[in-house]
Amino acid sequence: MAQDLSADIVVIGSGVCGLLAAHRLVMQGASLLILEAGPRVDRGRIVAAYRNSAWKGNWMAPYPSMPWAPHPNYHPKDNGYLIQAGPYPYPAEYIRVVGGTIWHWAAHAWRVLPNDLKIKSLYGVGRDWPLSYEELEPYYYEAEVKMGVSGAPNTGSPRTKPFPMEPVAEPWAMRRFRERLAAGGYEVVSNTTARNSRTYDGRPACCGNNNCQPICPIGAQYDGGVAASAAEAAGAKIIPNAVVYRIEHDPQGRIVAVHYYDPNKTSYRVTGKTFILAANGIESPKLLLMSASDKYPKGLANGSDMVGRNLMDHPSSSLTFDAEEELWLGRGHQSPSSINTFRDGAFRSEYAAFRLDFTNISQVRSAAEDLIAAGVYGPELEKQLRYRSAHQVNVKDVLEVLPNPENRVVLSSQKDALGIPKPEVHYALDDYVHKGMAAAKVEYARIAELMGGTNLRYTPDGQYANNQHITGTMSMGNDPKDSVVDRFGRAHDHPNLFIAGTGVMPTAATVNSTLTGVALALRTAQHIHETS
Amino acid sequence: MKSILPLPIASGAIAIALASVNALPAFAAPPADADLIQRGQYLAAAGDCVACHTTPGGKALAGGLSLPTPVGAIVSTNITPSKTYGIGTYTLPQFADALRKGVRADGQRLYPAMPYTSYAQVSDDDVKALYAYFMNAVAPVDAPSPQTELSFPFNIRLSMAAWNLLFLDSKPFEPDPSKSAEWNRGAYLVRGLTHCSACHTPRNVLMAEKASRDLGGGEVGPWHAPNITSDANSGIGGWSERDLIDYMRDGRAVNKAQAAGPMAEAIDNSLHLLQDSDLRSIAVYLKAVPAVRNDEDARPAFGWGAAADDLSGIRGVPLPADPNQMSGPQLYDAYCATCHQSDGQGSDDGGLPSLFHNTALGRTNTNNLVMVLLDGIHRLPGASDILMPGFAHELSDQQIATLGAYLTQRYGNPSAAVTTAQVQDLRAGSASSFLIVATRVAMSAVAVLAILVAAFWMFRRRRQGAAQ
Repeated sequence: MAQDLSADIVVIGSGVCGLLAAHRLVMQGASLLILEAGPRVDRGRIVAAYRNSAWKGNWMAPYPSMPWAPHPNYHPKDNGYLIQAGPYPYPAEYIRVVGGTIWHWAAHAWRVLPNDLKIKSLYGVGRDWPLSYEELEPYYYEAEVKMGVSGAPNTGSPRTKPFPMEPVAEPWAMRRFRERLAAGGYEVVSNTTARNSRTYDGRPACCGNNNCQPICPIGAQYDGGVAASAAEAAGAKIIPNAVVYRIEHDPQGRIVAVHYYDPNKTSYRVTGKTFILAANGIESPKLLLMSASDKYPKGLANGSDMVGRNLMDHPSSSLTFDAEEELWLGRGHQSPSSINTFRDGAFRSEYAAFRLDFTNISQVRSAAEDLIAAGVYGPELEKQLRYRSAHQVNVKDVLEVLPNPENRVVLSSQKDALGIPKPEVHYALDDYVHKGMAAAKVEYARIAELMGGTNLRYTPDGQYANNQHITGTMSMGNDPKDSVVDRFGRAHDHPNLFIAGTGVMPTAATVNSTLTGVALALRTAQHIHETS
Repeated sequence: MKSILPLPIASGAIAIALASVNALPAFAAPPADADLIQRGQYLAAAGDCVACHTTPGGKALAGGLSLPTPVGAIVSTNITPSKTYGIGTYTLPQFADALRKGVRADGQRLYPAMPYTSYAQVSDDDVKALYAYFMNAVAPVDAPSPQTELSFPFNIRLSMAAWNLLFLDSKPFEPDPSKSAEWNRGAYLVRGLTHCSACHTPRNVLMAEKASRDLGGGEVGPWHAPNITSDANSGIGGWSERDLIDYMRDGRAVNKAQAAGPMAEAIDNSLHLLQDSDLRSIAVYLKAVPAVRNDEDARPAFGWGAAADDLSGIRGVPLPADPNQMSGPQLYDAYCATCHQSDGQGSDDGGLPSLFHNTALGRTNTNNLVMVLLDGIHRLPGASDILMPGFAHELSDQQIATLGAYLTQRYGNPSAAVTTAQVQDLRAGSASSFLIVATRVAMSAVAVLAILVAAFWMFRRRRQGAAQ
């Protein structure tokens, strides 16, 4: 095992944020070592596993959960990895493999709104970010070019350059939503997504498998495999099955090494000059807390006691109904269109802003499950299934949660197979979210009416689905007393430790967090390049 | 990025080029008229000069591309009209000698990686047009290209004079009055500028084309350049003229074949830009080329297979932990079925091709099947939006062999074989290491012999001189 366990820059975690930061730095001449807790996977195996899975609704099922690097899985029952301390559930899904959770996203690659970064100043709620939209904009664009992003030009996020490509063709159902809802003043626009509408970066155009989650079977959608291949082709080295369990510092507080276990629990020490922690918004704070020492009894980077706190996501409620006309969801990709006009306004001082999102996922499976559960069988099942598959639609909201220090990730007393503490989440949602949901519900009703909807099925009040947008747990800020990293992602307490990922976002805004996490990571990489 | 433009655009570009030429009175080349230059540009496209003389992403015709050959890497030269590093000082006769005889302006011999044995057929008029184009409409690139550095004895360029004595037929093309004008035009292009034989004719151990098997199928690195003679089974005898024209223009003939690898490049850089009348002439000529039959070809390569779906047999069967133990249907399900569908039929509109009635799976030689599985199909930007991903990074040699064998058995020629050793060789970039060794030995022998003969001749002259 002649492994070179030293590099200029050591990255912990091979998700998209760590990989793209690493890719940038290795292109600029640094040596890069990336440690990934989970195994390598490849697209074909995941596709085959999904096709063979009995749990088509469980998008985690095709991804291997290794004993040494378990990830949360809730179906057919909770595997007990992410401990739920309540009172609200936070059933986050994330994947511990080379490439990370971006393997099974819907490719939403949104920019925030400029106002999203200053809701404390503007609306008296949440926190302000320590940087402006203008400072982030060039990195947004860099991320969009890398990932192959397209979208509507009019969603409120200014751009200095056009999208690198045109959106994928609008599916019929989305066209009908756009046309019929225009009568009610709604503007249904193309989502901003990292999905090819043409050959781009050696990957093919989307051909409408409607299989984006859990896996794009042809790589038309940007994913973790693409990011990992690019980083490795540029010279970065990835060590899979390397479960980092401790970050080591010197007496001055500089990080000198990280320690990892292989699957047999043999320990290795990896040294470097600069370290980037990029293991997601739950595993990264877990590792900082686990690395507590005599000098840092509350854990590393935690002088503020903010590590693991301010846990956020985008809770969603939805309305399912049967549209008047046959729309046959499932043709084209899964998530093409949304309404973006409720994402900002003076109301944000009172209740949560939101984006409204229309699914285009084929309804055959969910309708069949519902009908069978309701005891429908025989010719009636076929008749109703046909009707619902053609008519059933769904609109959901993506609500902004405000940062709350009591919502947090801590170390559980339970241990995984390697003896590493499992993460434990404490989570509650407040009236700010509930009132936002009530406002969205008014829009749901109008949308259903404009679509001639019947058989309206709202999710019960106070019940929300999780969206896996794990944010806030290592918040960036200018004040070391209430934030974990500075405006460049550098830990206030450790000059050579940087954190990349959505966990550094001080607020969650109303859009999927990946592109913002990547843009921040690229900005961090540029800062590392300039200062080291 | 490439200097060669489709004709309708080209005249405008040339007008601009000419305007700038006129603004530079010091320009040495004699003024040429726009029609001549435009014709030269078209002929340069037919000759596919950019394919070898431009690096990926590099400046057009500035050279520097390393061409692997059995005797070592031959680096293409800068053929822009740069006076320092290119061919800017070449006179028309010097240009013609380089093109048709393989002799540089300084008298040194070119290696036959430059297809001067084909270009020898080019007419004087067309050489003039090419010269006018290169001197007037190609942007000079004042940068050197890396030198070709072969090891001894191949670095003795004089040895190529001996090779030329053996293999260079320097007579220009002569029309055959007994054949149609189309046939003659096709013959002129195929034997000359489009240099089809450079890839499609097998070579002997001295790297020369085997005239007896003209266009009967050759090797280009790890790729197989198929038999394109008129034979109904082994060649293109079963293709219609329309099929051939579609294929040459778009890289795709429905229910027959798709271009990949070097042929896709040749289409995107060259054939794609030719007029339909020239493509038709080429088709007419190819369909009349004397048939070369390989006995094992019991049917045309596109004539095999039918739709078949084995996926129900693998549902509920767990994937083996060792990916090398995945079965053919399991590999097909994982890597192929998403686009080519569960039964291999492709998409309804033909945009994703069917796997049966497809030459990729119908040939006895399976090198191209393996190469496509490894590298996929990548067309040049702007030429085509066709793309097939390659699986070199995802699939092992054994997996490619299992999958390739399954595909030929299920959808193609059941007597075709794919082996792990073959995949290993092709992944490393060569079709057959034995042939390379044989070629190196034979070429060394010729080179050494040529040097000995030259030395003996000089020795005699000196002796004679001393005796006088």
